[in-house]
Amino acid sequence: MTALTPSTGARPVTRTLWYLVLALLLGAGGYAIILRMIGGLSTTNLTSTTPWGAWVAFYIYFVGLSAGAFLLSSLIYVFGMTRFEKVGRMALLAALVSMIVALVFIGLDLGRMDRALTPMIRFNWLSPLAWEVRFYVIYIALLAVELWFSVRADLVRRSATSKLAKFLAFGTKVADEAKDHHWLQILGTIGIPIAIFGVHGGTGTIFAVVKARGLWFGPLAPIVFIVSALVSGTALLTLFYVIRQKARRMEVDGAMVSELGKLLAGFLVVDLGLVFYEFLIPALSMNPHEAEVIHTMTSGPYSWSFWFLQLAIGMIAPAIILLTRLRNSWVMTTLAAAMVVIGIVGVRFNIVVPALIPPLLPGLPRGQYFPTWIEWLSSGGVIAMGLLLFSIAAEILPLDWTERNGGTLDDHAA
Amino acid sequence: MTAVSSPAPKETSAKKEPHWVMVIDLQKCIGCDTCTVSCKAENRTPPGISYNVVMEMEIGEFPNTQKVNIPRPCMQCDNPACVAVCPVGATFKGENGIVDIDHDVCIGCRYCIAACPYGARSFDFGENYAEMIDYEQVQAPEYGVEHGPRTKGAAPIGTVRKCTFCFHRINRGEEPACVETCIGDARYFGDLNDPDSVVAKLAASPRAFRLKEELGTEPRVIYLK
Repeated sequence: MTALTPSTGARPVTRTLWYLVLALLLGAGGYAIILRMIGGLSTTNLTSTTPWGAWVAFYIYFVGLSAGAFLLSSLIYVFGMTRFEKVGRMALLAALVSMIVALVFIGLDLGRMDRALTPMIRFNWLSPLAWEVRFYVIYIALLAVELWFSVRADLVRRSATSKLAKFLAFGTKVADEAKDHHWLQILGTIGIPIAIFGVHGGTGTIFAVVKARGLWFGPLAPIVFIVSALVSGTALLTLFYVIRQKARRMEVDGAMVSELGKLLAGFLVVDLGLVFYEFLIPALSMNPHEAEVIHTMTSGPYSWSFWFLQLAIGMIAPAIILLTRLRNSWVMTTLAAAMVVIGIVGVRFNIVVPALIPPLLPGLPRGQYFPTWIEWLSSGGVIAMGLLLFSIAAEILPLDWTERNGGTLDDHAA
Repeated sequence: MTAVSSPAPKETSAKKEPHWVMVIDLQKCIGCDTCTVSCKAENRTPPGISYNVVMEMEIGEFPNTQKVNIPRPCMQCDNPACVAVCPVGATFKGENGIVDIDHDVCIGCRYCIAACPYGARSFDFGENYAEMIDYEQVQAPEYGVEHGPRTKGAAPIGTVRKCTFCFHRINRGEEPACVETCIGDARYFGDLNDPDSVVAKLAASPRAFRLKEELGTEPRVIYLK
């Protein structure tokens, strides 16, 4: 692999350790997935009262990361915010990998995994999920093509020394960044509405249309999903950028990390505002239907995931870092980003699970859910699969804009 | 409370599908769970899955309490939330008005379970089948479709199940099992389109109401309070 990766400067021991950890997670996750395949969904703690759990939560988590990362890339390629271009290609790769991870999660969640492709053939135009499946496929194709255009010129440059690069260039002989940039702009422009309305707003719609469940139903959910996607995607890229630079013993562009931090702060403030209304309105409405879900979330057995994970780690602590002078240090900004990436997991679980806990009618059983070890291990394995895909792609593909031998997007666009 | 806003009967062809409804008189229900038991016997549902349950609750504060039993089959809504969300159209409103599930198409995403306001749907986890004696020799005629002997991993395992209004019995001209076995005669089954039917008369009673009517699901199970 070293021949293909002139830019990586990771110590062999770092790299070995990283892949070893991923292999362990994949092995354990693979074992759990085999048990799940054999035992079906009875290996989970899901019930007919609480039919969705960890896998659905991780699915919306990764769809959010993907949509967020993609929208950040469009800031660069469509809106010309060149100060972030160092993470542009990585954003596209992260968006692509996250989306694949999301689909693996939802595939794992199906009662009949063998019918996973049925939604591609059969359609129900009233079902948001039916639309989503199609949008995901279009979106993945768009991400793959856009990623290719973003690295094509560098692949052509590497063709002389690398057979793989020559193959991946798919017959392109001349590096023409102006043309590629034009394509990126077109694809990014098409992608923005797909990512906003199709992919993540649409995922929010899956929940928003369910009038039977408190806190899901309502027009705010899709908007909250889009904003939280921006929050999580920006945080993920900040974190990935810093980790990648550090792993390769390369300098971290502190100024850019701070800029990403400012962007993250902005998204986070909007998100906090939406969360405020998301709870205030149902709470003040005194609607027992809604109040029961809020009650489950804030004082149920897993309320720690709301107070500690979702609010403290995911929102308040990073907001304090990013809105005060602490943000001047890129280390602190990265810490805030890491907290957001972890905290949003809590957000996703608290979207999915609490609404499925209160009995639908008085006299029906109350739900109770915490994932089994099979659910946790398999989730770890799927995430490790995503990290492995990302790592391998990052080693093979020219993800660094600096390889362009100087010059910025602006020069080519002009 | 409006009794039942039945869809305006169309005065057209003579051969019209009946509008099947179930009326449950809560004043007659004694909470004996015979309906639940006979349903399980009829439909051979595995442990953990009950198409019909009786929700038993105590309302009011001691000493002024009252026991209320509300049997809950599938409401066979005319605007079913479950049907709207199904990504593959595996669940649909049949010609006879019964909400049907095609177990050979259902992908098991459980969106319909999340969407049903009445908790009337169950996922078949495939658990505890072995507790049913000779389960692999019986066939459950879900929606009148013979799926053959129950085998491990085959439909309806891994898909979503619910009350069928005893589709297979209706086809034979019989009442649903829960209606037939109700010891207090609290349940009635019939065609709402027939103005002379018992159900049509009971549906017009001022005692008639339906569960969560405000959601606009138009349930076909009418309760008499």
